[in-house]
Amino acid sequence: MRWFFLILAIASITVALAIGPRGEKFSTPPFMLFPDMDNQYKVKAQKPSEFFENGQGARVPVEGTVPFGYAPPKEGVSAAGPLDFSRGDDYLNTGLFGDFYGKGFPGEIKLDETLLARGKERFRISCSPCHGMSGNGAGIVSKYWAIPPTANLVDPRVKSMPEGQIFWTITHGKGLMGPYNGVLSVKDRWAIVAYLRGLQAASGN
Amino acid sequence: MGNIFPRWTNLLAIKVLVCLGALGTCAIAVAWYSWTPKYTRVGYMPQQPIPFDHSLHAGQLGMDCRYCHSQVENSPHSNIPAAQVCWNCHGPGKVKSDSPKLEPLRQAMDTNYEKYTGQPIEWVQLHKVPDYAHFSHQAHVNRGVSCVECHGRIDEMPVVYHAKPLSMSWCLDCHRDPGKVLRPLDQITNLKWGADDLDPESFYAYVAGKTKVSVEDLKKSDQGKAWDRELIGAHLQKAWSVHPPQDCAACHY
Ligand code: HEC
Ligand code: HEC
Ligand code: HEC
Ligand code: HEC
Ligand code: HEC
Ligand code: HEC
Repeated sequence: MRWFFLILAIASITVALAIGPRGEKFSTPPFMLFPDMDNQYKVKAQKPSEFFENGQGARVPVEGTVPFGYAPPKEGVSAAGPLDFSRGDDYLNTGLFGDFYGKGFPGEIKLDETLLARGKERFRISCSPCHGMSGNGAGIVSKYWAIPPTANLVDPRVKSMPEGQIFWTITHGKGLMGPYNGVLSVKDRWAIVAYLRGLQAASGN
Repeated sequence: MGNIFPRWTNLLAIKVLVCLGALGTCAIAVAWYSWTPKYTRVGYMPQQPIPFDHSLHAGQLGMDCRYCHSQVENSPHSNIPAAQVCWNCHGPGKVKSDSPKLEPLRQAMDTNYEKYTGQPIEWVQLHKVPDYAHFSHQAHVNRGVSCVECHGRIDEMPVVYHAKPLSMSWCLDCHRDPGKVLRPLDQITNLKWGADDLDPESFYAYVAGKTKVSVEDLKKSDQGKAWDRELIGAHLQKAWSVHPPQDCAACHY
């Protein structure tokens, strides 16, 4: 019995040392006790899929179809890519009237306090790292760029830009600025334009 | 008749029982300690294709989580950013564009690069609930639950690791008593937020507006209570009438 407990004690210490405390860092995938049905064979957001030829779970809509809630492009409008139907071709979705930047806000956008509050929040999330909280182009990232070219959004040049052009810039990017159509919805982009107008008015330039 | 069993066998059965008991206790202790998500998942820190540093981007640069995880508020799934999002800052002529650490990014994005593939960056997923349980980010982050409650201080992690167990009991512990964790909706992505950052006057005015109880009555009922997360959460829970579900069908369907 003495031997048994001696061995048990040694074994316990060895096991305890092997297990280690909770919360230690490790890089192998976690051990799964009962993996039944944990990983079901279905398409999941942003995950690969063996089922499809290109290995991606996310699908491009079948040619000739339109996702629910989107409009097909009108006749005669040149589509920039296979997915261009997903953006309508009216002022709300493009910031353009024909070939020109539109002035003013589209009728679908109601200028009120909630829109401005939304615009403020989104501006701080998506624009302030580069353009700064007040839009003056001195965001934190501009300190790291070799040549800081970040535009000052409250100077008279941008102030005199039509709303449609700012919307278009957010959507497609310009020069060194990337496009933000993937992360900001159409309404959020207009909200940012509205808030930016407020910042420009407040700056007094 | 002589003794068939020698004397030492008298205690044998008891000794065997004691030994088995001790062995069993040890085995159960090991299982109790290590066969649970608190042990198997917490601390999982896989090697990512790009050594992306949250403590730099979210902490030092002060970027909001939603710059990158942009769909977290309007979808069950919190997205990992597309390579385009990194490209906004790490594209040619911008920040550290030729850093060797960003090799996979150039392969995904830079059409002029000789090793261009156009394939997405394959980030390794850490947090995962099993497919038979359904979790939704938008249901939580729009109801005052911050990222920090479920992911820990991401803005201090040079490499993301699994900070909470994500077990069913962990989900339910919070669902039974969400008052402790709720916070104002504009502070969801501010992981270092604390009760001291909130101004009591404007908070009481907000709660009064929501609950139709006057500020004086609210203050009177709070007299002598410490101004802390628990107090704020309790008010918010009432003001927003937060009732997290506990029935099985809420998560298993
Ligand atoms: C990654 C950094 C970065 C972010 C984030 C960013 N921008 Fe820019 N932006 C730039 C740079 C750099 C320029 C200058 C582009 C040039 O002229 O080459 C610029 C230029 C602009 C211009 C002026 C365009 C012109 O015609 O001169 C506008 C308007 C603008 N940005 C709006 C925004 C808005 C609104 C957001 C938020 C959705 C935003 N930017 C987010 C970097 C950024
Ligand atoms: C600059 C973009 C960026 C910002 C800002 C950012 N993240 Fe991330 N996040 C990523 C990328 C890329 C990954 C995937 C690589 C990794 O896990 O390190 C990731 C991974 C994660 C994961 C782990 C995902 C998994 O696989 O389970 C969590 C949790 C997370 N981020 C939370 C946050 C929180 C909370 C914030 C705000 C404090 C934040 N992130 C800010 C880009 C970002
Ligand atoms: C808003 C701009 C911005 C965005 C978006 C951004 N980064 Fe960065 N990143 C920076 C800055 C600024 C640095 C610091 C550079 C320095 O230290 O000089 C940096 C540094 C890095 C480094 C370290 C590079 C080195 O050689 O030390 C890596 C790796 C990196 N980022 C990866 C990413 C990835 C992956 C993404 C996309 C999820 C991303 N970044 C998105 C601004 C950004
Ligand atoms: C109530 C808890 C909770 C909160 C709050 C929460 N998360 Fe999560 N998060 C989870 C769980 C659970 C998962 C695993 C989801 C899955 O398996 O689908 C996850 C997964 C993720 C992932 C990885 C998704 C993937 O599939 O790779 C990211 C990124 C993430 N969360 C970011 C965030 C950010 C940013 C916030 C704050 C705005 C946040 N989370 C708030 C619980 C939470
Ligand atoms: C830190 C607290 C917290 C944690 C942890 C947490 N929840 Fe929740 N959960 C909430 C709150 C708060 C709500 C909102 C209740 C409401 O809207 O009234 C909620 C709501 C829900 C809902 C209902 C959503 C709806 O559409 O009404 C589901 C489902 C859910 N949670 C699942 C989970 C799962 C699965 C986990 C574990 C992976 C989890 N929760 C972890 C706090 C939490
Ligand atoms: C708040 C969400 C939530 C509710 C409510 C909930 N579950 Fe779960 N359940 C989960 C999650 C998340 C997991 C996965 C846990 C893990 O992976 O560690 C799980 C796992 C399980 C498992 C599998 C355990 C295993 O490891 O194989 C069973 C069985 C289960 N739940 C039964 C139930 C029953 C019965 C109820 C009702 C009394 C219930 N659950 C209510 C979230 C929930």
